[in-house]
Amino acid sequence: MPQMGVSVAEGTIIEWRKQRGDWVQADETICEISTDKIDTEVPSPASGRLVEVLVQVGVTVDVGTTLARIATDARPGEPHSAEDDRAPAPAEPPQPQPQPQAPARGPAARRYSPVVQRIADEHGVDLAEVEGTGRDGRVQKKDVLAYVQARGGGQAREPDEPAIHIESPYRPGAGTSLSGPYLPPEGRPLSRMRQTIGEHMKRSQETAATCTTWIEVDVSRVELARKQLGITALPLIARCTIGALVEFPLLNAWLEDETHTVHEQVNLGIAVSLGEDGLIVPVVRGAQDLSPEGLSRRIRDLARRARARQLSPDDVRGATFTITNPGQFGSMMATPVIAQPQVAILDVEAIIKRPVVVTDQFGEDAIAIRPMVILGLSWDHRALDGALAARFLASVKKRVEGYEA
Amino acid sequence: MNLYRQGKVPGSFYDGFGQEAVSVGATWAMAGADRLCVLHRDLGAHLVRGVQPWRVLSQYMGREAGITNGRDGNVHFGDWRTGCVGMVSMLPDMMLVAAGMAMAFKLRGEQRCALTWFGDGSTSRGDFHEAMNWAGVQHLPVIFVLENNQFAYSTPTEQQFAVNPVERAAAYGFPGVSVDGNDVEAMFEVTRIARERAISGGGPTLIEAVTMRMHGHGAHDDMKYVPKALFEEWRKKDPIDRQSARLKELGVDVEALVKEVRREVDEAAKKALAGPMPDPATATDRLFHPRDGEEILLQDGAAPWSGFRAAR
Amino acid sequence: MTELTYLRAISDGLRTEMRDDERVLLMGEDIGVYGGAFKVTDGFIEEFGADRVMDTPLAESGIVGTAVGAAVVGLRPVCEMQFADFVSCGFDQIVNVAGKMLYRQGLPVNVTIRLPSGGGFSGGPFHSQNPEAWFMHAPGLKVVAPSTAEDAKGLIIASIRDPNPVIYMEHKNLYRRVKGEVPEGSYETPFKARVAREGTDLVVIAYGAMVHTALDATADLDGASIMVLDLRSLVPLDEDAILRAVHQCSKVVVVDEANQTCAAGAQVSALIAERGFEDLDGPIVRVASPDVPIPFSPPLEAAVLPSVERVREACRQLLEY
Repeated sequence: MPQMGVSVAEGTIIEWRKQRGDWVQADETICEISTDKIDTEVPSPASGRLVEVLVQVGVTVDVGTTLARIATDARPGEPHSAEDDRAPAPAEPPQPQPQPQAPARGPAARRYSPVVQRIADEHGVDLAEVEGTGRDGRVQKKDVLAYVQARGGGQAREPDEPAIHIESPYRPGAGTSLSGPYLPPEGRPLSRMRQTIGEHMKRSQETAATCTTWIEVDVSRVELARKQLGITALPLIARCTIGALVEFPLLNAWLEDETHTVHEQVNLGIAVSLGEDGLIVPVVRGAQDLSPEGLSRRIRDLARRARARQLSPDDVRGATFTITNPGQFGSMMATPVIAQPQVAILDVEAIIKRPVVVTDQFGEDAIAIRPMVILGLSWDHRALDGALAARFLASVKKRVEGYEA
Repeated sequence: MNLYRQGKVPGSFYDGFGQEAVSVGATWAMAGADRLCVLHRDLGAHLVRGVQPWRVLSQYMGREAGITNGRDGNVHFGDWRTGCVGMVSMLPDMMLVAAGMAMAFKLRGEQRCALTWFGDGSTSRGDFHEAMNWAGVQHLPVIFVLENNQFAYSTPTEQQFAVNPVERAAAYGFPGVSVDGNDVEAMFEVTRIARERAISGGGPTLIEAVTMRMHGHGAHDDMKYVPKALFEEWRKKDPIDRQSARLKELGVDVEALVKEVRREVDEAAKKALAGPMPDPATATDRLFHPRDGEEILLQDGAAPWSGFRAAR
Repeated sequence: MTELTYLRAISDGLRTEMRDDERVLLMGEDIGVYGGAFKVTDGFIEEFGADRVMDTPLAESGIVGTAVGAAVVGLRPVCEMQFADFVSCGFDQIVNVAGKMLYRQGLPVNVTIRLPSGGGFSGGPFHSQNPEAWFMHAPGLKVVAPSTAEDAKGLIIASIRDPNPVIYMEHKNLYRRVKGEVPEGSYETPFKARVAREGTDLVVIAYGAMVHTALDATADLDGASIMVLDLRSLVPLDEDAILRAVHQCSKVVVVDEANQTCAAGAQVSALIAERGFEDLDGPIVRVASPDVPIPFSPPLEAAVLPSVERVREACRQLLEY
């Protein structure tokens, strides 16, 4: 069907001037058509025998539709040929332009798109764990979403509790001698929360005889277990800590002036960072009864509510022992401040892979690469001695290193 | 000009010194309901239609109180409240706008006309032809005032066209009339007649107002290309001097008038200088008119001859 | 509702508005007695008379300039440039007179300028252009581009009623090829985007004829769920709709029939890069005509204008990324 005008889209056959089997000359009128703009005769595009009429009189078809077939290799005078059933050669599919290939990346050089990183942050996903189905194994948005779905059983995961450690308020002396006049900028008063935290820290420093002991722990098994359970390391270490507190109840105690109270129940305080505003320590009550999954859930809920400023006064009262876990930034050790009136606080810093010496059953030493963490315990020398603190830490270490889910 | 030299007028400065009769005389013949496209040498038109001098000076100095609120400079303004459309720099685009206004009047059967000024140089551009042709073929009530001030910047008319446009009006189907552009009364009369023709269905008129630009194209132009003799000849024909002479003969105290005007202008300058510059935060405002905004159309301007004072 | 072609829908819109508002008049070459080069105004002069269906001289600058004059004294002119390509002859009046009048002088200019645009039928370099980008770039002008019959009617009515200069891009290759259900009576289409098809894996952003190309290219593409966003309005650009689509799909293909450099799609891409960065799961991919005049001979033209295959392949590559 020819296009009789720029905007014409279809046409109708009015009459066929030639029948099937007829000979037709090039430019001879073969049929007549009608369109929106004009009625016209259609000259044959070639000479030959009309072997097939595809569109009948009165039928309307789109511009470009084949109306009939002419056998151009026929000779005039030859008998009518049978219907030509040779299928037309299929049109070559257009060759798509090859897209420039992204340079091949090994797994070590993985890069993540903005949306993939955002989703990973929101759900606490370690992207190294996610399998990529994109080009060259690239992690696509749907891959990380699928991972989250599978891991969390379909529930939206809260971001990890990022508890920042209670920093020592002690600062080295500020004014060293300066050459030349220095014009300091204008200072601002501290926020209410800052002042409150500061007062607490000062009071703790002034009240307790604070000492800190450290121990190095291999967390390979905990790492394994946490992946299986789909939680972070903190609840597992907390579980081990609670075990050690049950074994050494003197660490799960209060010292108020001269009164020393040893608790049976472990109300575990977990320090939660509120960013630049400060920090707060909500409490998991009766933590001794919770499994690591249970601890994980409770900690996440408290952290979420803490950040949303939705904690009730009961949520932050009555802790018997506190854990602080600021390790996400890579720091190794710290000297945490004890939360009054507790007698100890455990600091969990970054888990860092390090070469360590391991001894096999034959007494042979070898170097292995293990994920290691340094646990720091600040304790009040008024309530206990260094030996007890060290034994407590050793207990935590044993439980962590021997952890079995 | 003083303010410009004092740095109080940003951008360039243009004036119609020596051509005042062309705008004043023509505008004087207009009715309040007529519409004008005013060009850059036609300050007199704005004043006749009712724009106050202090606002004109504010406009030059880019103040908030200027007619364009600082959006456009010097004489690129038209106060729609006085029925004037502000010009663009591409010349003679406004000829088509004037023809369009006249077209609307004709379609609605209204007894009004449109008028625009344009210079000898601008007749070389295509829009001159399109407007002349359109006005002629549609027989529009429009008055085209060609301000032939002998120079387009530095280009004299001999280099601008082979045949004076006023002679070419006939080729478009309507009369071309030449008049002494420095005679305000002659200017008034020829415009009055053109207006009569327009509103009675007689179609367009091309009025060539022959005058001379006595200052440079802009304040930055020292006019070295103008032959001194030509300049002197035209100085003797100064429009204001001539009209002053006529008025004196009629017994009018011209000195007192001039003093009064000077005083008014000084006060206007003071008031304008006291006005604030526009707020930078408004720089991106007023790009589009809101759908539910009030309809703004050109309003009637003052028409002293007919005694019409536009309501304010 | 009746089924109308895209072209008949535009006619219907013009006719409806002209009946409702006597200030509306049409101005263009051959639109009166001849009914318009494409027959958009067929029958109009009989109904509305020669005063309101004005056969103008061959003068694009004249058409627009006089329309501005008519608008500031209360008429509502709708100008037709016979082919979008000829708009360059009236460029100055559109950009410098109409576009800047309100900002400078406080005087709104209610003119509508219809541009039959686009190629695909061997129109050659001067009958196939898509010049919308020139006018998107000039401040003070609105630009709209319907792709369906329903929107063609609603947008022309809305454009006439908008008190600002509106450039109305009517794609002539859609005139008779696109049909759709069109509501009867008077209605307006908002100057906002429309989701032509919902989807989640990738979004194709297009306007005008390319909306249909995009729909065809992605109807059945390896089972993927592909959204098609029909911009409909280029100035103002529906930034919220664009960013919402990017947030949902994260993979974007932007299609222009116009020449690539600084086409409408370039502005869309810049917007996404600036404000949708966090939602992207791959580079913003553009499919457009290369920067050449649109050629006349069919194989050349087909190689230049974005085809269904090209859009399809671009989507496939991005889905795999």
